[in-house]
Amino acid sequence: MPALPQLYPYKAGPIEMVVMPGEIVGVWVNKVYNFFRVEFIEGYPRSEPLEIDFGALAAGGVSAVTQLALLEMPDTEFGQFRAEVLDDLSVILFQGRADQRHKLFTRVATYTRFNAIKDPCGHEGEFYVHEDNFAFMQAQNQTDYALTQSRVAFWGFRYVLDPLTEYSWKDKRLPTAWTRVPATAHL
Amino acid sequence: MSNDPRPMVRKSSAIITIAAGATPETLYQRTTGGQNPRTVILRKILAYNAVAATTLMIGTGLGGAWVQRWPTLRLVNNMDNEWTEDMIPEVEIGADLTGQTNVLGVLVQVEIDEVGS
Repeated sequence: MPALPQLYPYKAGPIEMVVMPGEIVGVWVNKVYNFFRVEFIEGYPRSEPLEIDFGALAAGGVSAVTQLALLEMPDTEFGQFRAEVLDDLSVILFQGRADQRHKLFTRVATYTRFNAIKDPCGHEGEFYVHEDNFAFMQAQNQTDYALTQSRVAFWGFRYVLDPLTEYSWKDKRLPTAWTRVPATAHL
Repeated sequence: MSNDPRPMVRKSSAIITIAAGATPETLYQRTTGGQNPRTVILRKILAYNAVAATTLMIGTGLGGAWVQRWPTLRLVNNMDNEWTEDMIPEVEIGADLTGQTNVLGVLVQVEIDEVGS
């Protein structure tokens, strides 16, 4: 018997799927888990179309909070993404526009060019985008000189979903086994 | 190569043309944004001198705040002059790098590591 794969969010090492096709996920959106069966999975190789450039930033400059339109997902799909900052930036992730991810009580952890040194696989910065619950980023140039480009690259997996309406987080009718997918902030 | 295990990023300065003799000017502005400014370790120096035999001093501070942080380097006239990281003491500085030569017109470029996050 082959061993079952150990799949779960934020898994250390090169990115892996969080579930196998046919398994059940609960996607955290708007403070509840919504339940789906995963029908289909495919990869998003790290490539130029999945790279955003926040543009030139003056010394100390901050970009607008920018919707990651390139990571927008269709209905009944979610995406699993990791990110690498290519220029000397500090980047905050938001899901939705005003809800910071990776936050503590008084501070917010950021994506930087240093992340790849201590976390080469990028698992600490993994995030999920479900349907039109967009991700946003804001880039800051913390250096004392202007940057001509401010790039962040993404890669990951696509999950096509079949809604399971018989389950409800609100009514506590839950599947016996399911994987939690934190697709928005926990407010 | 350095054995320092801390995360750091390699940067370079612009080409600096020394504007006045015996007057310190900024060679590299360190990153100060965010919660904690980074520190700077000098790794490489490239200087081109077609003016007159002179010296290059690198340190911190401008004007009366100038502090020399490495021994004086001799810049041979009509030569390019290079020092790489295995030759440069690994002094870590929490300030901009500044430098001066005794004559104006010398071209200087430095490469540094910034330590921080």
